[in-house]
Amino acid sequence: MVKKLSVLLLGALLATAVSACGGNDSNNEAGSSSSSGGKGDKPELRMLMQYSRFDPNQDYSAKAVSTLTGYPIKFDMLPAENADEKLNLLVINKEPYDLMKLSAPQFYNLASTGALEPLDDRIEQFGGNIKTAISEKSWESAKIDGKIYGIPETGSGVAVSEELVVRQDWLDELGLKMPTNTDELYTVLKTIKEKKNVIPLTGSKEAVSSLLGDIAAAFGVTTDWVDQNGTLVHQIETPQMKDFLAYMNKLYAEGLLDVELPLNTAAKVMEKFANGQAAMFKLAWYNAPNAINALMANEPNAKVSLVPYLKDKTGKATVFAASGTTWYAVVPKYAKHKDDAVKLLDAKLQPDVFKELAIGKEGVHHEVKDGKYYPILPKFNDDLSNASVLMTGVDETHYPDYWAARVRKDPTLQAYFENMQKNAEGLIVTDPIALAPPIPEVAKNKLNLLQLQVDWMVNFISGTEPLTNYDAFVNEWKEQGGDEMTKGANDWYKSAKS
Amino acid sequence: MSSLTTKSALTGPPARRSSKIRKSGPEKLFDVCNYTLFTLIGLTTLLPFVNLLAKSLSSEEAVVSGIVGLLPVGFQFGTYRFVLQDAAFLDALGTSVTLTLIGTACSLLLTTLTAYPLSKPRLAGRKWLLLLFIFTMLFSGGLIPTYLLMHNLHLVNTLPVLFLPAMVNVFNMLVIKNYFEGIPDSLEESAKLDGAGNIRILYAIYLPLSLPVLATIALFFAVYFWNDYFNAMIYISNPGLKPLQLFLKELLASSSDFLRNATMDPDQAMNTAPQSIQAASVLLATIPILLVYPFLQKYFVKGVLVGSVKE
Repeated sequence: MVKKLSVLLLGALLATAVSACGGNDSNNEAGSSSSSGGKGDKPELRMLMQYSRFDPNQDYSAKAVSTLTGYPIKFDMLPAENADEKLNLLVINKEPYDLMKLSAPQFYNLASTGALEPLDDRIEQFGGNIKTAISEKSWESAKIDGKIYGIPETGSGVAVSEELVVRQDWLDELGLKMPTNTDELYTVLKTIKEKKNVIPLTGSKEAVSSLLGDIAAAFGVTTDWVDQNGTLVHQIETPQMKDFLAYMNKLYAEGLLDVELPLNTAAKVMEKFANGQAAMFKLAWYNAPNAINALMANEPNAKVSLVPYLKDKTGKATVFAASGTTWYAVVPKYAKHKDDAVKLLDAKLQPDVFKELAIGKEGVHHEVKDGKYYPILPKFNDDLSNASVLMTGVDETHYPDYWAARVRKDPTLQAYFENMQKNAEGLIVTDPIALAPPIPEVAKNKLNLLQLQVDWMVNFISGTEPLTNYDAFVNEWKEQGGDEMTKGANDWYKSAKS
Repeated sequence: MSSLTTKSALTGPPARRSSKIRKSGPEKLFDVCNYTLFTLIGLTTLLPFVNLLAKSLSSEEAVVSGIVGLLPVGFQFGTYRFVLQDAAFLDALGTSVTLTLIGTACSLLLTTLTAYPLSKPRLAGRKWLLLLFIFTMLFSGGLIPTYLLMHNLHLVNTLPVLFLPAMVNVFNMLVIKNYFEGIPDSLEESAKLDGAGNIRILYAIYLPLSLPVLATIALFFAVYFWNDYFNAMIYISNPGLKPLQLFLKELLASSSDFLRNATMDPDQAMNTAPQSIQAASVLLATIPILLVYPFLQKYFVKGVLVGSVKE
């Protein structure tokens, strides 16, 4: 309650503070008096980062940024929790940052209250490297009313992060074939239940993605939004979602799905698979070393396989992949060194500099084998663990190749990462609004509605609510902002197509 | 533990104890059962610590599999080596130790100096002054105005912001004041007759007699400064200045977030701290403040005043 109130207050304050270009600028002088300490024409810049588990002021990669670009940088960090509130406080008080790295909702929030500097002119003037690095499609996500307010960072270009895994040794023992669609999956789960007396499939309520994904995709539930004759409809309003829930409810009722699903934490799910209590669950590749090593320690003879993405009734498999812009590098309106901030962003994207920032020096941090970049351990981990956190926009053509070096530091990690990508090849679908600029109605409602959706989905699956009540869920969803969100998404969709 | 000891401190100088009555056989048996039962119940509070200790000493595989109970599985000591070499952890530890030492010393000094005059009825306007103090206990400016104040005082992102605003705690001040009021006036008068001034009386008479309450309040302050993460979260953005509890909170919060959101930045997901490391960090962050308790224990002595005055 108090928190909510303070968020509201902060919002109101932010709006007034920014519009009333306050006379309290003089207060900020003292805070950044050290700027004269920088050498010559390159002043010390202050940058605000998202939370991460290291101190950038003492980090190798962060120092490399300064060495390679010539700009001394002092980093601050948002907290892990209540980051948005803290960010608002800092901005209201014109905390003298020259650069900030923001999430999409934060970006929209600050840009729309007028706290951010439009960058079009400066990018034109100083941003040669920025312009080559970033694609036209990504720029769209950083524009509000036609003006660019930040450098979009699309990240590693990683497409798929999760896939079902199954105990292959048990399949072999029971003479079962790898399931390819939901009917076969049902048979496999049922046989495992009868013969092995373990939990055939486990999942958790905490991980939204463990409810949606492989099985849902086989029913046609993939993207948040579906284009029906030119109009966007949310996934919960499609009949496919109901079919999917009915199927999951059947699994649950027959004990094929973990009865503790509504209680499981994500860690608990991994625990059940690792100690041989469960036969199947959805694994993210970055958790693979943890889960697989633990399983091998407990049951040295275990064998694990990825379950190829399940096919729908027409025999086609699809995989949803998140895409779009994850972070934005922005310059606040009150920044003291706006030109230098953009120059720094540009210098970081100069191809050679960018490569060294991403994977270090050849022969020291990485080596090239058959055209692929491999990390040299432990030097790579020691120096470059946090390199991608320090990115502010990436070279979109080369970064996925560079980035792949990061998963090659562990054979299990590499195997699961590469196999998942291979299985997903050609099957990937992305959301129709993935590349839209932040849509206020969506940004405002998305998280709350997702929570509501997960709660109801769990109730339907566990049978607490019968599926005949599905309309009650849709109505509540619409009332709580679903209608507003649908309208916002469609407004953009139609304007983008015309 | 602290609740027992503080009780005697809160009610002022303790009364004389009634002498022991000899107990019958069945009563003794009842006592034995009681003690055993409650000791066992009391010991269950240690179980989470034992479990944490076991986790921190187990291999990560065993922790992930959820098979670690009260004893380590796959014993290793690497987690502690890792945490103790982690620059961020050591920075945070340093900040917390400095903050707790300076904060406790300053707060105790100021709070006592405030409490003493207010405990004397002859202080002019005492009632109003007390009301003013109590007013601040009930009403405050709220988070945002306070932040603006700290910002304008240039305290944001500095260590003092974490202890300066908390220097006089009204509640603790009232506790000390009440204790002072319980000390017989005759002691002050006798000191006056010997020619002692106010400062001398406070220093030579009142403080030595008030050790139990001072120790209790010092403990309150120390625990407050050690455990405080909220102020740091609001006022500190420089990662090198974060105190230990904020470091811990973020360590634990971030790892559970990454498990939850598969769409999070995969890089951060890969860098999440293993559970055994988290357990070791929590233990290492708790031990220093636990060590304070035994050292303060000896000041919780009852009956210092007994027999000092005959009335």
